[in-house]
Amino acid sequence: MSDAITVTALGRTFGDFHAVRDVTFDVRRGEIFGYLGANGAGKSTTIRILCGLLAPTSGRAVVADADVARDPEAVKRRIGYMSQKFSLYPDLTVRENLDFFGGAYGLYGRRLREKIDAVLAEVGLTAQRDATTGSLPGGWQQRVALGNSLLHDPDILFLDEPTAGVDPASRREFLALVRRRARAGATVFLTTHYLDEAEYCERIGLMAAGRLVALGTSAELKARHVPGRVLLARTTRPAELRAALAPRPDVLAAQTWGSGVRLRVRPELSPSALASLVTALDATASLEPAEASLDDVFAAVTTGAA
Amino acid sequence: MKRLTNALRRTAAIAAKEVQHILRDPSTLYLAFGMPVVLIVLFGYGVSFDLDHAPLAVLDQDGTAQSRDLARSLTATREFEIVATPADAEGIERLFRSREASAALVISSGFAEHLRRGQEAPVQVLLDGSDGTMAQAVLGSATQLVAATIGTPPIEATATLLYNPALRSAVFFVPGLIAYVMAIAAVLLTALTVAREWERGNLELLFTTPVGRLEIVLGKLAPYLGLGLLQALLVLSVGTALFDVPIRGDLVLLFFAALLFLVGMLGQGLLISAVTRSQQLATQVGAISSLLPTLILSGFLFPIENMPWPLQVLANIFPARYFIDALRGILLKGAGLGVLWPDLAGMAAFAVFVLAVATLKFKRGVA
Repeated sequence: MSDAITVTALGRTFGDFHAVRDVTFDVRRGEIFGYLGANGAGKSTTIRILCGLLAPTSGRAVVADADVARDPEAVKRRIGYMSQKFSLYPDLTVRENLDFFGGAYGLYGRRLREKIDAVLAEVGLTAQRDATTGSLPGGWQQRVALGNSLLHDPDILFLDEPTAGVDPASRREFLALVRRRARAGATVFLTTHYLDEAEYCERIGLMAAGRLVALGTSAELKARHVPGRVLLARTTRPAELRAALAPRPDVLAAQTWGSGVRLRVRPELSPSALASLVTALDATASLEPAEASLDDVFAAVTTGAA
Repeated sequence: MKRLTNALRRTAAIAAKEVQHILRDPSTLYLAFGMPVVLIVLFGYGVSFDLDHAPLAVLDQDGTAQSRDLARSLTATREFEIVATPADAEGIERLFRSREASAALVISSGFAEHLRRGQEAPVQVLLDGSDGTMAQAVLGSATQLVAATIGTPPIEATATLLYNPALRSAVFFVPGLIAYVMAIAAVLLTALTVAREWERGNLELLFTTPVGRLEIVLGKLAPYLGLGLLQALLVLSVGTALFDVPIRGDLVLLFFAALLFLVGMLGQGLLISAVTRSQQLATQVGAISSLLPTLILSGFLFPIENMPWPLQVLANIFPARYFIDALRGILLKGAGLGVLWPDLAGMAAFAVFVLAVATLKFKRGVA
């Protein structure tokens, strides 16, 4: 069985501007793939190419076994798309919106009604079916949009910054819904600039300035791009401790982090040596192990790329 | 066959959604039905070249019974009202300057004498030429009235007016007005609603579905076409009822002319929205591109024959002139397809062209 998405040396220019250049990756079936990057890094351009909204200027993308440049119509039947820009009609009710987009996918009659009932139950908005979509809170609108993109049971779900501007609780709920769909067999391609959202993804592609600069699972990325061990030194005087540790060559990074200092040190520096070093500088400090975050990866990779 | 059914089904889904938008948005219904009636009433009553109690000064140097009869005869139809009887020519000029009079009748001494001998009787009509349209109307009316009174016409040529014997402005205006309000409403409605969908990203989402461009265009067009035809019916009823405009020709032909015109105007609105993709810009371009051609390049207010040739070429592109021509033909003259087919062909050509370009411009290429 081939991959859900195969992207080979993909590029897109707007005039002289390279929005996406030489990007290669693939997404396995049933995987949640996170496409991570700052605004303007080329995430939206990539997802638009994959959905057939934009033609690539170089390279090739195969989505659901169809070439997006040659047969975008075949792609469209197999995918669901949901954008950061809320794109349902705010003046229509939830039901009318679903009716319309279901119709756009060629669903009608009893089958359409059943599908609408099913997705409303899935996203937990059955009671809101006759509410005007624009009057719902942001998180609920996002869930309606998700339900909308699921009406025709797509093989691949494209979510373009789906939770932008939504509160953390709604975001978690939303991601739980996405995960449930993935477990049921759908492939999910999700762009985001929230690092915690990327942790929900099985694999992550990291974009910077139009290039794919890192690719792998969260653990792989951390191991590859954030060498060393990460520790947290709790202290009452974090600023002084950071200033004292930062210049040392075996300390790769030191940041104040709440009531402590987050340290990334060379693996050669043993825990006991570090402990005595820290207590010598600050008697109140205590060390505890911490984990590298995607933030560290992001910082390491983008400084390297710049 | 199955593909066609699917396409029709998707088109119907788009049309049904559009109807929901229309019914839910009172401003759409106002634009379609309220504004045209307001415009027709405003134009119909406000814009009139008919004379009504035009202020007339009379300088009677003859002072005979015949000369007094002549002066009185001008006021008989209420087109003129004698506001002053100055003693000399300077008095007339003063009245013109102060705008108290817009026309003057000068009857020289010897008027009755000449008339008795059967010679040309000297009568002079002076006009305030600063208002050109008014002056023309006064001139026409005064010469007619004077000629009727004296019996021997002071002008040689006589014109007989057909179709609009009283030369009432409304009869001439209403067909133009119908085209005008239909053009504005059709172009603005489509330009605005579709531009809004570009702005909100609705169309982008729609483009990720299997819906085709032509399906979107046709699905959008159909409900607004229905709305436009209802509007045409309303405007026609109001126009003919309020201003006594006759309907001498075939209503079926009228329906087809309106249909062709509307498709062109809706296509123009779609094209504008697809090119501008912003509500603000679409409103401006839509208003100007519908208003100016129907008002100026259509024969509504100014005869096309008198325009410089580049404007005549433009006038031949915009369908407003064909529609107004067809409307006047059908309503006033009772003309049939044999005479009006070039108008219908002109409108059809525009409609096909503009729809084709609009469909092409409805590209998926969202930046």
